[in-house]
Amino acid sequence: MAEITNYKVAASPHKLDRSNTRRIMLDVLIALAPCLVCGVLFYGLYALMLVAICVAACFASEQVYNLIRKKPFTFDLSAVVTGVILGLNLPPRAPWYIPIVGGVFAIVVVKMIFGGLGKNFANPAATARVFLLLAYSSVMTQYIGADLSNVLAGDVTTGATYLGGGIAALQDSFLNIGGYWGYVLQLLFGYVGGSIGETCKLAVLAGGVYLTARRVIDWRIPVVYLLTAAAMVLVCYGSASEILLQLFSGGLMFGAVFMATDYATSPKWRYNRVLYAIGLGVITVLIRRYGSYPEGTSLAILIMNLFVPIMDKYLLPVRFGQTSKSGKPKPQVMKWAMRCVCIALAAAIAVAVPLVNYTEVQLYTGRFSYVTDAKREFGGGYVFSVEGEAYLDQYDYTQPLAYEIKLNAEGDKVLSVRPITQSTMGYVANLAFFEGKTFDEIAALTDLSTDAETSATYTNTALRKMILECFTAYDANIADYSAISASGEHIVKAERCGDLYRFTLSGVADLAEYNYQQPLAYAITIDAAAGKVKYITTINESTYGYTVDREIFVGKTAEEIAAMTDETIASDITTGATITNAAVRDLIGECFAALEGAAKGGAE
Amino acid sequence: MKTFTKGVHPAGCKDLSEREKIGAGPEPAHVWLALSQHIGAPAVPVVEPGQRVLRGQLVAKKAEGLSANIYSPIAGVVKEVAGHITISGKKKDHIRIENDFTDEEMLLPRLAEPDGAAVLARIEEAGIVGMGGAGFPTAAKLAVGGRADVLVVNGAECEPYITCDHRIMLEYADDLLRGIRFAMLACGAKRAVIGIEKNKRDAIELLSAKCGGDISVRPLRTRYPQGAEKQLVYGCTGRTIPEGKLPVDAGAVVVNVHTALSIFRAVELGEPCYRRVMTVSGKAAKKCGNFWVKNGTPLRDLAGFCGGDENCARIVCGGPMMGDAVFSLKICTAKTSSSLLFLDESECESKVASVCIGCGRCVQACPMGLSPTFIEEALFKKDYAEAKRYGALACIGCGCCSYVCPAKRFLAQSVKLAKKIIGERKI
Ligand code: SF4
Ligand code: SF4
Repeated sequence: MAEITNYKVAASPHKLDRSNTRRIMLDVLIALAPCLVCGVLFYGLYALMLVAICVAACFASEQVYNLIRKKPFTFDLSAVVTGVILGLNLPPRAPWYIPIVGGVFAIVVVKMIFGGLGKNFANPAATARVFLLLAYSSVMTQYIGADLSNVLAGDVTTGATYLGGGIAALQDSFLNIGGYWGYVLQLLFGYVGGSIGETCKLAVLAGGVYLTARRVIDWRIPVVYLLTAAAMVLVCYGSASEILLQLFSGGLMFGAVFMATDYATSPKWRYNRVLYAIGLGVITVLIRRYGSYPEGTSLAILIMNLFVPIMDKYLLPVRFGQTSKSGKPKPQVMKWAMRCVCIALAAAIAVAVPLVNYTEVQLYTGRFSYVTDAKREFGGGYVFSVEGEAYLDQYDYTQPLAYEIKLNAEGDKVLSVRPITQSTMGYVANLAFFEGKTFDEIAALTDLSTDAETSATYTNTALRKMILECFTAYDANIADYSAISASGEHIVKAERCGDLYRFTLSGVADLAEYNYQQPLAYAITIDAAAGKVKYITTINESTYGYTVDREIFVGKTAEEIAAMTDETIASDITTGATITNAAVRDLIGECFAALEGAAKGGAE
Repeated sequence: MKTFTKGVHPAGCKDLSEREKIGAGPEPAHVWLALSQHIGAPAVPVVEPGQRVLRGQLVAKKAEGLSANIYSPIAGVVKEVAGHITISGKKKDHIRIENDFTDEEMLLPRLAEPDGAAVLARIEEAGIVGMGGAGFPTAAKLAVGGRADVLVVNGAECEPYITCDHRIMLEYADDLLRGIRFAMLACGAKRAVIGIEKNKRDAIELLSAKCGGDISVRPLRTRYPQGAEKQLVYGCTGRTIPEGKLPVDAGAVVVNVHTALSIFRAVELGEPCYRRVMTVSGKAAKKCGNFWVKNGTPLRDLAGFCGGDENCARIVCGGPMMGDAVFSLKICTAKTSSSLLFLDESECESKVASVCIGCGRCVQACPMGLSPTFIEEALFKKDYAEAKRYGALACIGCGCCSYVCPAKRFLAQSVKLAKKIIGERKI
């Protein structure tokens, strides 16, 4: 009947979208390429070898499985994708057998046994990573620091990750940017310890943008995942500055872009995907914050994978024109609920970030005359609130003063001074004396007179004291000291931070006239490079005003202090104070002696 | 602008024929008129073999219930009433008429006083059916007893390649608008909205300039299946037709642009429905264009007329999204055949299905909000209740799911099958 010689019938539609399975897998591989390149640059060719082994293990095990089960070989590249993703999830110096074990597990146990491509209920790479973490915990948590100059070498010193070791695992400055933004940039560029492919967030982002532009992945999953994670960090850590650090560390972004979006194991309907991503964000941060593993991405993906079949089965799209039993149009509950949740999350972040922009810093150590509290600003600086007064003797008037003084993150420079309360008659502090100056510069200021008014000079003098106290408070509470050993009769604790040595001492002042033994405790910081006393923080001393006059000692060398007689340190106020000063002089002497001992000990 | 969500955006490919004026089609030596060119019962022949008929003469009368009259498109002699293959592959009864090329005509009288009832009667008499492709008898569709307040005219033409409605809107704009008025009269609608996809800017401009008052033009987003009934009503009026209901339940009646033109011709010119404008297109056709083609013309005549390559990669009757592949050029055109496409290798796909990778694109693309991949899965497990739960009954057969599937699965066919089984077994 048919008389077209080579007739071909086919089912409609006769036109099809150009995409196909291989092309999609190829796109994923292209998107993974930047991560692989960065991983190799940072961690050396050994890392490349691990990924290659992993790919080979995945591909081979899939074909062997096909052979055993007498199925046709599969060349759809999906095993390669799994191999690359799992490889990039490994620590850079994992032993060679780890990718083999992981690859075979991912392909055979997680994927093929459940029916192969598209039938597996859990993400092969994420499951294999969790499996390896449980089976080989010690090697799977051995990370090394990134090193660009060291592509070929085998050994690099082991290093912690931010999630495992906190800020201490990061370098102090990156690209000459110090402090908070330095940390963020480090994490963003991925020049830190971590799994091979997941550290460089820029590479991950590039891959994500590519996949989204090619419409391979649904942007909703990574975006909502990160959004939820950000909101959860805000809630669980109570700090806005933690958001970027958490998002940029570990495998969160890599997982969000490459693993959470895995087709077979993510929901099919777009609003289910939003729900899934919200679940991922919540679980990841909960594991990170309260779980015993520092990293939660893979486990979160695995957990949410288990809910996907349920979501796909019971949360169905509302059909066009679908009516409920009563004949009313069926409400789009999921759609609006998911939209509202996302808007609420975004709004919560937008509102809360400025509010928790500052984190309170507890000033545990030291009794301060002026500093009332301190907080860390989002982005690094520290803001101290100070209150005090200036006595204007020509008017016999006491002017209350209050300022907010902002120090930089390293605590060695005044960034800005903001007056809160000061004279309304124009006797205001000249902020130019202080802003942008270091501790030493301010300590060395002698001429504080403003040409206009002597009263302003009083204010300047009071402010200077306040600022110096801020540095002291920083040193005692915020600066990052580590303990060293030192001996001395009164020394309770000795610590070091760069050139600075801090000694915590306790002693007594014998106030004979009151027949009272006043206990004393100070933290004394000595700048070893300059050989000078830098800070003195009062921990315990008289509350009746027999207090040490710090100005006498600060900035003095060991010799100068040793040369001080009781007369030269007589405080004009009371003999009680003089006795305290004398006691402090002796304590400082002890510190210098201990310092000498520590230096010798270090030399030997 | 309201528009349905989801859907797909295949390449238009309309430039092959959209600038070609509607020309005369081939004059076939024989025509095979199918007795069933519409939804409903086949028409009953009223001619005997050997009888001479004129162009425009009734040859088969509508049966009881839903059916439509059939007229001869040529003057000639009735040879036989016999089985002849149709595009679906089944043999159906056809009336074969041999052309004597005298082209003597016998038209209906012009309707002197066109009021609602008279127009409706004329539409029924002229055998007009939905010419967009469905073939639902128009008279039955328009007889809604005043329940519709808006007439939606389908000028979306969302299928790639097809341009016949576009050309009609450009070349027969005045006739079309009068046809729309007659249709409004027949169904009692107070206003009419012509929905046109934005890729036909010239048609939108022309009709916007000509219409006015109770007829308005609605530019629609270019997106397949914008011309599907439910999607069109939503795009033009913002109303959603409840599942399992007809447009009239949302107060709307939908007619195709070509149907409206046929109504005009039947009422004003007395010409019954025996020919239509068809698009012939595709890279394997030498002369792409739009032609008045007589019903019952064998596709071979049309292929010869347009220089279509019989051995090209695929011949498709209808649009590439929903149309059928032609397996024999003996098949004849009907009232609903809107196009004949000769596609070369670059224009059509020979797909081999692979396993579903679970990408969910079919779920995102289905304009009806179904989950084709799960329906297919349920179908393979013979769990029809589950297939129904995923919405198989609401499928409009648009093919978006198959179009997007990267694993090239035959989703539209699976869903259609599930729908059929559910319907037959009353699950
Ligand atoms: S399931 Fe039916 S309505 Fe949905 S896209 Fe497929 S063919 Fe169209
Ligand atoms: S589009 Fe194809 S591959 Fe993707 S979920 Fe649907 S059936 Fe599976």
